[in-house]
Amino acid sequence: MSTLRILVIDDEEAMRESMAAWLENSGHEVAVAESGTRALEMLDRDVHDLVLLDIKMPGMDGHELLRRIKEHYPGIMVVMITAYGSIESAVIAMKEGANDYLLKPFDPKHLMLLIEKMANQKEMMTEYRLVRDRLFELEGAGFGDLIGSSEAMQEVFKQIEEVAQADIPVLITGETGTGKELVARAIHARSIRNCGPFVAINCGALPEQLLESELFGHERGAFTGAVRTRIGRLEMADQGSLFLDEVGEISAQMQINLLRALEEKRFLRVGGSREVESDFRLICATHRDMQALVDAGRVRSDFFYRINVISIRVPPLRERPGDITLLAHHFLQQFSNEISKPTQELTPSAYRLLTRHDWPGNVRELLNVIERAVVVSRGPKIDAADLTFFGAGTEASAKAATLKEVDALHIRRTLEECDWNVSRAAEILGINRGTLTRHIKKNGLKNPH
Amino acid sequence: MRLRVEIIRLGPVDEVCVSVAAANIQTFIGVPVDVAPSWPEPEYAMIPVRGQYNAMPILNALGMGIDADTRRLGLLTGDLCLPILTYVFGEAQVNGGAAVVSIRRLKQGRDGQRAPLHVVLERLAKVAVHEMAHVLGLKHCRSSQCLMAFSLGLEQLDALTLRFCPECERLVARKVQR
Repeated sequence: MSTLRILVIDDEEAMRESMAAWLENSGHEVAVAESGTRALEMLDRDVHDLVLLDIKMPGMDGHELLRRIKEHYPGIMVVMITAYGSIESAVIAMKEGANDYLLKPFDPKHLMLLIEKMANQKEMMTEYRLVRDRLFELEGAGFGDLIGSSEAMQEVFKQIEEVAQADIPVLITGETGTGKELVARAIHARSIRNCGPFVAINCGALPEQLLESELFGHERGAFTGAVRTRIGRLEMADQGSLFLDEVGEISAQMQINLLRALEEKRFLRVGGSREVESDFRLICATHRDMQALVDAGRVRSDFFYRINVISIRVPPLRERPGDITLLAHHFLQQFSNEISKPTQELTPSAYRLLTRHDWPGNVRELLNVIERAVVVSRGPKIDAADLTFFGAGTEASAKAATLKEVDALHIRRTLEECDWNVSRAAEILGINRGTLTRHIKKNGLKNPH
Repeated sequence: MRLRVEIIRLGPVDEVCVSVAAANIQTFIGVPVDVAPSWPEPEYAMIPVRGQYNAMPILNALGMGIDADTRRLGLLTGDLCLPILTYVFGEAQVNGGAAVVSIRRLKQGRDGQRAPLHVVLERLAKVAVHEMAHVLGLKHCRSSQCLMAFSLGLEQLDALTLRFCPECERLVARKVQR
């Protein structure tokens, strides 16, 4: 039987104290509250698995508190306590979502069996979540969106298969948008830890203090705003894999803390004095040249060697142009399904435009381009004119597109800027309205509104 | 100074029960046991509507005024309960100073008959040692073969062997610095 974190709520001191003492003797962690208001404060602050709740209390009664608990903390199990003769109240509470009820005073056998039942229920819920996560992982285990028939990607797939079973740290390098997290997920899905969680965090997205609390968790009162104890990603990843994206952005102090946690598999939560244990596999990723960061003194060499036991480089999309059409077709199908649209086809000119682009944003940029095209295009085909490239990869960077393709793009862009006011767009383009209408028809452009 | 246990009769209790509790605590906990003068029946703890003694005020009374090296075990013949529980065989202050054990329900045999004396005494030994281990700080054990396992009733209590599992044995030894 697993240990439960139990909150006993009863306005009678003798009741709550004797119940707490008895449950503590049985090895559970017990807290007590004398009123509904106090209980809500405690539920907000600390983590509980089970609430033992007296129905009859002054102020907020058990029914009201039950409703609030089920609304705000649906994962907490609630057992109602009522006196003999008030069984109707207990039946109502069961209809309101209580997990069970006890008539007081209770036979110790009944209390013990009920607590065992709740502990089993908690274990089943934990198991259910693990199975659900595992299924989620397995769904992506065919390498998911990590697609490629190029030699470079075949080499990546081979490396994933090789390192997955080894249970050692892996460093994944590659430009932004190449799919480093997908590689990490694929490694986790094939590893011996695939029944455990896959926990990801982008280290570059958070300021240092916040990152420390996110990684290690914090105790209540550790800092202003730490109103309740919170477990960190390291603890969440116990028995699973921890994915640290943009690991090159971590500060030197954080590198020391992480190094210690990795080596000892135990650490302190921020503001904590009791060490917690967590056994996870570390997978890191970066778009930076880590060796250069080590040379520049921004990354500690001992930290680098610890996380870089094996490295996998994910090639940028421009190094595997053969995969562009494969990926584009995959995303086309994916997004068409998502918005319940019949799967469209890319015209040859659209394919040509895609393969000539240099993809500075890599697969993520391609994904965005296709997603937008699927949303804005009408009809069964997506033409070059439906493709919009973002940021550094604007249409100007499309290499050697045909004059017709450039014409179509320029006309569409101008129309969009004028919110499809054809007369105004014609004026900007320096042609008359009739000519522009002919161009629109010839290039298959359509007003999305 | 070494830890010692003091047994106090709370009202009339058979001499043999006191001796059995004392001998078993001495054997399994490993501390000297003295029998102190009897106290009167704990009328202050009686819950009239239930006809039972509330264990909580008895524990408070037993735990009062004892020195740091003494732990107390109260024995009584009346039925014992907690406000929330219909009955208890015994109750203890975990990591505290006192425990109390009732002999009333330990005498129950099958079909409403009185259990044979050797069975009653064996049950008493188990409950007394179990409660004193709570006083030393031990909690219920997950091993069904351990004396610190929770007994769902007399049948389970009878099925228990009178010994700690190795882990609880080690804990007891550490607590009494054997």
